[in-house]
Amino acid sequence: MPRFFLHIDNGFQCIEDEEGSVLPDLAAARNEALTSARQLWAAAILQQRDLGRRRFVISDADGVEIDSVEMDEALPSNLVERLRS
Amino acid sequence: MDHSNRLLRALSDTDREILHPLLIRAELPRGYELVAPHRPIADAWFLESGLSSIIAMSGKEQGVEVGLAGRDGLVGMPLLLDADRTPHRVFMQVEGVGYRIAARDLTAVLDEHTSIRKTLLRYVQAYATQTTYTALSNAVDTVEARMARWLLMSHDRQDSDEISLTHEFLALMLGIQRPTVTLALHSLEGMNLIKATRGLVTVRNRQGLEAFAGNAYGVPEAEYERLIGPLR
Repeated sequence: MPRFFLHIDNGFQCIEDEEGSVLPDLAAARNEALTSARQLWAAAILQQRDLGRRRFVISDADGVEIDSVEMDEALPSNLVERLRS
Repeated sequence: MDHSNRLLRALSDTDREILHPLLIRAELPRGYELVAPHRPIADAWFLESGLSSIIAMSGKEQGVEVGLAGRDGLVGMPLLLDADRTPHRVFMQVEGVGYRIAARDLTAVLDEHTSIRKTLLRYVQAYATQTTYTALSNAVDTVEARMARWLLMSHDRQDSDEISLTHEFLALMLGIQRPTVTLALHSLEGMNLIKATRGLVTVRNRQGLEAFAGNAYGVPEAEYERLIGPLR
């Protein structure tokens, strides 16, 4: 199984994932990013903070960026729709 | 025989001499399972170094650490409480050395020697306090404070400032996703409390880490010292 690295880009700097996770595929890596994003949102909401433009950058074992996950993608879609309307 | 195990140290010379012939030294690599869930516990362990995690499982996949035992304690506590097994799993998450005592030998010693039984039961009370404060911390503290608490608890149980742990292990310990571990460590690092590199966390400012952890750390440790003796 391949190793995926989930770095966190907070707009100012990229917090590097030095260890990575061994996961079946990119979908599983995206899923780990989304679950983590929900945890980060939960903590952020309790502290009345916005996660702003933070995003996960997913890279492969060679360090090549292959995908990214915006924090907003982790929010319930009906909530995002309501806030935008 | 000199011991790092705080319970063996807390016993009188006479009591230690009773246990000595029954103890077998063993190297315990990372991942070694000391107690398997729902199976008769064959041996109890006095750890001299390293860290073991007591894990509660939700279903077959999801587990979270509910207790930590190193040189402060005894692994295989159900044996002290007249139980031969537990739903929990206990394994070494930082390699170390321990002394094994067969379940039947331990039971016989407990039946015969009240002072040994009393000391070990006081440890059960200290450990129970630790787990209740873990429940409290999980309910009220931020991930960063829980991380600080956990690092302090590990630091208490070893001499070195370097704690050898992967982010994957820390995620299991705290019941959080691995990227959440990365961020929490980054945040503690930003305050110069620790240094985190691949597979290794170095405590740089112990007092600062305690101050940051605030109410998340200290009560079970004080209780341990009241019941048993020096923890660190």
